[in-house]
Amino acid sequence: MEELKQKLKVQIIEALNLQDTRPEDIDDNAPLFGDGLGLDSIDSLELMVLLERYYHIKVEDPREGRKILQSVQSMAEFIQSKQPA
Amino acid sequence: MKGKCYIQGMAAISPQHTFEGDLLSQPMAVTQGNMLSCVEPDYRAFIAPNSLRRMTRVLKMGLAASLKCLQESGVAVPGAIVTGTGKGSLQDTERFIKEIRDFEERALNPTPFIQSTYNAVNGLIALQQKCTQYNNTFVHRGFSFEHALLDSMLLLSEGKPDVLAGAFDEITTEHFFIKSRIGHWKQETIASDTLYEHVSPGTISGEGAAFFLLTPTATAQSYAQLGGLQMLYKPSPEKLHTALGQFLAQHGVQPEDIDLVLSGANADSNHLHYYDVLNSYALNTQLPFKHLCGDYETAGAFALWLGAAILKQQQVPAQWFPMLKEQPRKLQHILIYNHFFGEQHSFMLLHKVS
Repeated sequence: MEELKQKLKVQIIEALNLQDTRPEDIDDNAPLFGDGLGLDSIDSLELMVLLERYYHIKVEDPREGRKILQSVQSMAEFIQSKQPA
Repeated sequence: MKGKCYIQGMAAISPQHTFEGDLLSQPMAVTQGNMLSCVEPDYRAFIAPNSLRRMTRVLKMGLAASLKCLQESGVAVPGAIVTGTGKGSLQDTERFIKEIRDFEERALNPTPFIQSTYNAVNGLIALQQKCTQYNNTFVHRGFSFEHALLDSMLLLSEGKPDVLAGAFDEITTEHFFIKSRIGHWKQETIASDTLYEHVSPGTISGEGAAFFLLTPTATAQSYAQLGGLQMLYKPSPEKLHTALGQFLAQHGVQPEDIDLVLSGANADSNHLHYYDVLNSYALNTQLPFKHLCGDYETAGAFALWLGAAILKQQQVPAQWFPMLKEQPRKLQHILIYNHFFGEQHSFMLLHKVS
């Protein structure tokens, strides 16, 4: 799980071009939107694309997406839940 | 056209140090090679970091130039935003197309698609300035900027208090390669300041963003009056000659009244003969400007910026024009003649604000 979260942080920084942010600056549980990283609705679409490209997971329901993209922790848990056992 | 049009404020990002604004003190930037790139400012002074991270180059150039223009004019929300671009954001277009191929039309990133649309810069300006007024982008190859300008002049004549008009275009390595295959660029590699010594097929490529705040009345701060604009599509040399004479007469100017001609001559032997029209009239000093900005669809916007700056300063920046023998005796009227690879031709007439 720790390895997955680290990888996710690097991928988020690269996908969203967060120039002055390092992986260690992102708290696992900090909200990605609003107060945390300050991401917006376009970023949420970019993160959906990230999940599809790197993890082959398509999020169909936008309401589900809101929960999944809450934090790095919630994203990692979601990815793990979709991995074959 | 009834009504007048004055340039109240302006800003340009180009391969020269134009953003700083002090025309006479900036040295000429020379490019070794056939692809001129813009001297870009520090965008953080104009654009919030969170917005900046998503924008590609031409978006940053367009937005920063427009914001500086508005800042200089003291206008926060213009009556209209009208721009022209030949290619829009090439970086985004290329990225989007590559992703379609790489990801087989699935999992496509929305940002390059959104930003590849031609009106993305206008949208950004409107959002940033909370401007809900008329907003339009013209994409008509070598007439893109001129159509934006014509629309702006019409809007002013209809009563708009001010219009933000502008143009933006960029060149990428990939696009340079594509256009080189249809002979747009010179085969030999040259330095930009030696352009006119190399008359041969093709020219050098360029890019830039220029914005103007246009108003129907002049103030002490105004740069120049835009007295006339005319476009001609694929004219014959004879038609061009007649049209130039009529254009000047229509605006009450004799050829000998023109103190300076800024010409788009670009040492491209395929289309250079059109500029002979300038020699068929008794026009005073002629200066080419493409060694400064290169050639691109909206290079006319750079010429307008340059002409207006010269009129306000009442001096030609000699360091940018090594071919200038002496300063024009007076600077009251400037004619700009440009064409885009022999197809879209335009005349612009600028007057000093009295």
